[in-house]
Amino acid sequence: MTRTLLKTTALAAFAASLAMPTFANQADDTLNVAFTKELENVDSYFNSSREGVVMQRAVWDGLIYRDPATNEYVGNLATSWDWIDDTTLEFKLREGVTFHNGEVFNADDVVFTVNYVAKEENGVKTQRNVNWMESAEKIDDYTVRIHLKEKFPAAIEFLSGPVSMYPNEYYAEVGPSGMGLKPVGTGPYKVVDVVPGQHFVLEKNENYHDSPKGEAQIAKIDIRTIPDVNTQMAEIFSGSLDFIWQVPTDQAEKLAQMDQFTVANASTMRVGYLDMDSAGRSGADNPFTNKKVREAVNYAINRQELVDALLKGESEVIYTACFPSQFGCAQDVRQFEYNPERAKELLAEAGYPDGFTTEFYAYRDQQYAEAIASYLNAVGIKTDFRMLQYSALRELNMDGKTPLSFQTWGSYSVNDASAMVSQFFKHGSLDSTRDDQVLEWLNIADSSTDPDVRKENYKLALQRIADEAFWAPMFSYNTNYVFTKQVAYEPTADEVLRFVDMSWN
Amino acid sequence: MSDITDPLTQEFQAPSPREMLKQRAKGHLGLLTGLGIVGLLALVAIFAPLLAPHDPYAQSLMTRMEPPVFLGGDWDHPLGTDHLGRDYLSRLIYGARVSLMIGAIAALISGVIGTTMGVAAGYFGGKVDAFVTFLINVRLAMPVVLVALAVVAILGGSLTVVICVLGLLLWDRFAVVMRASTLQISRRDYIAAARAVGASTPRILLTEIMPNIFNNLIVVITLEMAHAILLEATLSFLGLGVQPPTPSWGLMVSEGKNMMLFEPWLVLIPGAVLFVLVLAINLMGDGLRDVTAPENRS
Repeated sequence: MTRTLLKTTALAAFAASLAMPTFANQADDTLNVAFTKELENVDSYFNSSREGVVMQRAVWDGLIYRDPATNEYVGNLATSWDWIDDTTLEFKLREGVTFHNGEVFNADDVVFTVNYVAKEENGVKTQRNVNWMESAEKIDDYTVRIHLKEKFPAAIEFLSGPVSMYPNEYYAEVGPSGMGLKPVGTGPYKVVDVVPGQHFVLEKNENYHDSPKGEAQIAKIDIRTIPDVNTQMAEIFSGSLDFIWQVPTDQAEKLAQMDQFTVANASTMRVGYLDMDSAGRSGADNPFTNKKVREAVNYAINRQELVDALLKGESEVIYTACFPSQFGCAQDVRQFEYNPERAKELLAEAGYPDGFTTEFYAYRDQQYAEAIASYLNAVGIKTDFRMLQYSALRELNMDGKTPLSFQTWGSYSVNDASAMVSQFFKHGSLDSTRDDQVLEWLNIADSSTDPDVRKENYKLALQRIADEAFWAPMFSYNTNYVFTKQVAYEPTADEVLRFVDMSWN
Repeated sequence: MSDITDPLTQEFQAPSPREMLKQRAKGHLGLLTGLGIVGLLALVAIFAPLLAPHDPYAQSLMTRMEPPVFLGGDWDHPLGTDHLGRDYLSRLIYGARVSLMIGAIAALISGVIGTTMGVAAGYFGGKVDAFVTFLINVRLAMPVVLVALAVVAILGGSLTVVICVLGLLLWDRFAVVMRASTLQISRRDYIAAARAVGASTPRILLTEIMPNIFNNLIVVITLEMAHAILLEATLSFLGLGVQPPTPSWGLMVSEGKNMMLFEPWLVLIPGAVLFVLVLAINLMGDGLRDVTAPENRS
């Protein structure tokens, strides 16, 4: 009896797998997508994750838009803008735009949003994105001025990226937590359902304005959080998912061999690097305060092998504390080749002929972290490996308790070196270096409006960072997008998933 | 004269208990299989540096995830290589050290704690018994895996921490069994006789009680050893046990997990070895119980 039952069930399951509902999703006009990581808050100012950036680009709009193909800035919620002086930007706003809840978009929304996020006590998660703004001022209903704290040439880039416009009346009423549960924006997709930990449902915004983002093609997007890659793959096999991304290289290679999927690989701005406690925050006697030890770490790592064998795809070897395409990211800096013998010599000169043991922290890509640890072990730096959640590691890092950690930074896809090097070397809580000289140059570079002055000073700072081996930058990341043949999508090189650019074949 | 044996006396000469034990052991297939496998793995663990064909830590990213021989690989890596190009067989061999060491030491620590408590409770009774029973109940009310996860999460995973945590968590069965056995035995006449001739309490515990509950102790030790090995694998699988790059079978399963759909052998090989070891230890324990206390066989 049981056996027959089992057999029938197995047969039924098999039959079901054959009769895969391949076109069901297309017929309902619903794209099923998986996120790997849980999004802590959909409100884009109150999360610092990649998934948050994806949602932000779908649900909200900024004043300006950067075309990912040409890198040109075009107006989105603003139609034109002008620098009144070095620290004042004036915007003419687009008329006739409404938020998803019907609220009309005008100068009040811009003034409210800027004034709210720029205030440090409101606790925007990544201060770098907003703390260059002082305030906003309404000139008339469709003209607004944003005042900067000091000269900040990357303002246009930030306004086209992480700074999106919120509805003033609604946001004043519900705040970040309400916005996280029932998000309201002007974007090409509106959020119809948020079930934290389970899924987000987006629906096409039928009243979308004439934005450079273009109109959404797919009526409904259902995003589920599925942490396990194997489950994601099983679901894309069975047809209950249409689109997965951030697929590890090994799996993507295997999926590419199958007919029913498209595997696309695109580079990202994310840079993987080793953060070393050169300031001695985790203990004054810590070995990384010694330049020779930091150089040894840089020599010990075979960057090319990591890129060729593990990351593959569009990844590149990186020697700078920024991504090469970013403005000001000078590439003529000291480059450490793979030389384990030199590393051992340097360790011996530094007073560690037999090496030493250090805690080694990581929060993602355990496989890469293990490979890096293995290179370090090979030259005598023994690692006490600790794998933590991102938030836990960030906290330890802020408290200066991590002598050595494997970190990555995606710069919020902001194409300017300040989004990375100035984030980590300006004596903030995440700065493990605290070098005054670097700070001085970065201050000049960040606040100058002369592109040549900026370039020159970023270069000086980046060269000093490389010469002193403050970090060990290693590689840039790539992302694998895997989707069924029914889906048409061209990924961009900035690690942002654009639902608006997706359509059915 | 002397070489003529009297058929009558021979017929009545019963074999000594030790000989009977040997006889029963020889005929017990489960016990022999278990002993054989555990012994073999113990030898592998001890002589790991001689047996392993490669350095278990030597990474070679250019030869990652080569298949084992039976799936078309070559004999340089008989069981293939892992996600960092390390030789799978060598890691498996060194992993036996971790598993057996954790099993043995954790069972020893919990054995000492549990036996002391159980024997004290059974022998002294009264308030001591009530207190020990209370402790056992408290311990039984705690889910082992959750507590172990929490403690390891706070203290950080390492071989020492895992051994200590497991040793301090797995004493309950020892205490329960030892208490019951001691209770039974302490009412026997020979204990009363020992007391009557003025033997001291430690002497009674060590020479009268311990030898008589030793059989039960052995059985519990084997059970708990298997338990500890599985728990270590669980913790390591969850990333909270032995930390990389130390080779541990649980960790190997965890590292192979992501490629499970395409390279199932990465999970199957360490999983199978773990299964065989735990099965062997359990067979050994069952066999020992059958052999030492045949009257309790069910």
